[in-house]
Amino acid sequence: MSLRVLLYAGALLLGIGVFARVRSCRARQAFLLVVSYALYLTWGAWFLAVLLASTAINFLVGRWMRRKPSLTILWTGLAFNLVLLGFFKYLPGIAVSVPLASLQKFSHLALPLGISFWTFQAMSYLLDLYRGEELDPSFLEFGLYMAFFPVAISGPICRMPDMLPQFRSGQAPSRDDRGRGLSRIATGLLMMQVAQLLGKGILSGQGVNAGFDQISGWSGPDVWCLALGYGLQVFFDFAGYSHIAIGAARMMGFTVPENFARPFTSTTPSIFWTRWHMSLSFWIRDYVFLPLAMLRRQEWWRKFCLLVAMVLFGVWHRGTLLFVLFGCYHGVLLILHRQTQQAERKLNWQPTARAWTVWSWIVTMALVNLGWILFRAGSLSQAGEMFSALLLPTSYSRHAVSFSLYGLVLGLALAYAGALYAIDTLDAYAERTAAAPSRSEFIAVGLRDRWVWIAPLWTTACLLVLTLMPHQTHAANVFMYRFF
Amino acid sequence: MTPEAHQMIEHVVHLVRKPGLAIDENTALVSSGLIDSMALVDLLVKLEDLTHLRIPAGKVQPKDMDTVALMFATAERVGKPRK
Repeated sequence: MSLRVLLYAGALLLGIGVFARVRSCRARQAFLLVVSYALYLTWGAWFLAVLLASTAINFLVGRWMRRKPSLTILWTGLAFNLVLLGFFKYLPGIAVSVPLASLQKFSHLALPLGISFWTFQAMSYLLDLYRGEELDPSFLEFGLYMAFFPVAISGPICRMPDMLPQFRSGQAPSRDDRGRGLSRIATGLLMMQVAQLLGKGILSGQGVNAGFDQISGWSGPDVWCLALGYGLQVFFDFAGYSHIAIGAARMMGFTVPENFARPFTSTTPSIFWTRWHMSLSFWIRDYVFLPLAMLRRQEWWRKFCLLVAMVLFGVWHRGTLLFVLFGCYHGVLLILHRQTQQAERKLNWQPTARAWTVWSWIVTMALVNLGWILFRAGSLSQAGEMFSALLLPTSYSRHAVSFSLYGLVLGLALAYAGALYAIDTLDAYAERTAAAPSRSEFIAVGLRDRWVWIAPLWTTACLLVLTLMPHQTHAANVFMYRFF
Repeated sequence: MTPEAHQMIEHVVHLVRKPGLAIDENTALVSSGLIDSMALVDLLVKLEDLTHLRIPAGKVQPKDMDTVALMFATAERVGKPRK
């Protein structure tokens, strides 16, 4: 276990204790800010300096805007944030690909951790002020909003109108908050271990990572297996991390936005994007797509805006051609879905049959998972080679990826579906039990306070997954979204 | 209910296309997932037509459009006369 994990756990336990006893908002805020900065400092003093500078400048721009809301001030603030993000996130990539001597010194610039997340938080604060939201954070509160340790590294991306009242609340976290938070953390840990297992494989060198990086000459089934496998890997990894962030915040009495809502059960691409990395997709919808789409009334303009929004979603991750293509791919899927909806309305066709929903789910999942190839491929030529294999009928008679990975991907997909079914069954049972109080008190408590058994159950499962995993270096255990 | 609100509900029913689903002035549309991003733009355009106001999208959040009642309240709050 790394020192940072221990420090994070220590900070969380200390936070739970402080929030249970201390009622003064100012003292709580000061404590949380010091802890958040201390944890952020472990990643590097330079990173903290960038965060502090961004915090101070955005706070000042915000104050200026509160006094005199104007588009010029808004654009000044947005430009500052975009330049900051561009400098750290995109300039090193440009320096590598453009052979200009003056740019070379920027090619090894380190990316301050979580900069994409807290910069978007800062921009939403300025945009909310421009919209006329009544926000008057103190410098302490604004600093906390930018650095709040459960979410500062990898989200979920929070909004000031949701966080400010919580920072000002003197309420102690309830037993339910602590229980549910613990349950979310245990769920997240298990999911992240499952992601590691998918990446490494049951047998060493036979996981999704090796499937993408060490194999060539993929067959059609290999590409399908790797696409689904990577989709599950990135989902378990990032949704797992989000569970931990949401759970840690909840244990101290804070509610931060959800980031995932069963995306693999989506029956249309449009539904998928309301369930995948929700805090970012809603951010782009609210602050980019809607204002842009309302500039003109023509249908083609709205579709173009959808494409722009999805490209932004792709480029937010990394400024490479593959991520631009990833965004374009999903933009096109959403436009095609819109066309289908319009055709259905025109023909007054109402697909009600269950078979249609199942078909729609299969098509959506196939298309969404194929998109992961663009997200994960190491180069454009690799992505091209993988897509070509899909379209080559003769490639369907062989395989280069090991059977153990096929089994693992299929097994985990089925296990995840089974877990969702079990949760739904429990929820339905809990509802029935609440309606019929004659049931055993033991069962009622077990259903109401699920964390009592879910947290140990998931922790045990997590340990089991750990025993299945081949030993690898620390570098192979890194959380994937940390690099965005 | 005003005739404009009634027309808006009819428009929402046309967009949502879920037979048997009762929609009134207070039905949650965005937070419940009934309305997607593209349909939200449709609703904003319809709101402009019904109220004869220009609604600056930069001043509107999806939560302001969550119900038909909220839509008209938002139009009143941020709408500007059309030129």
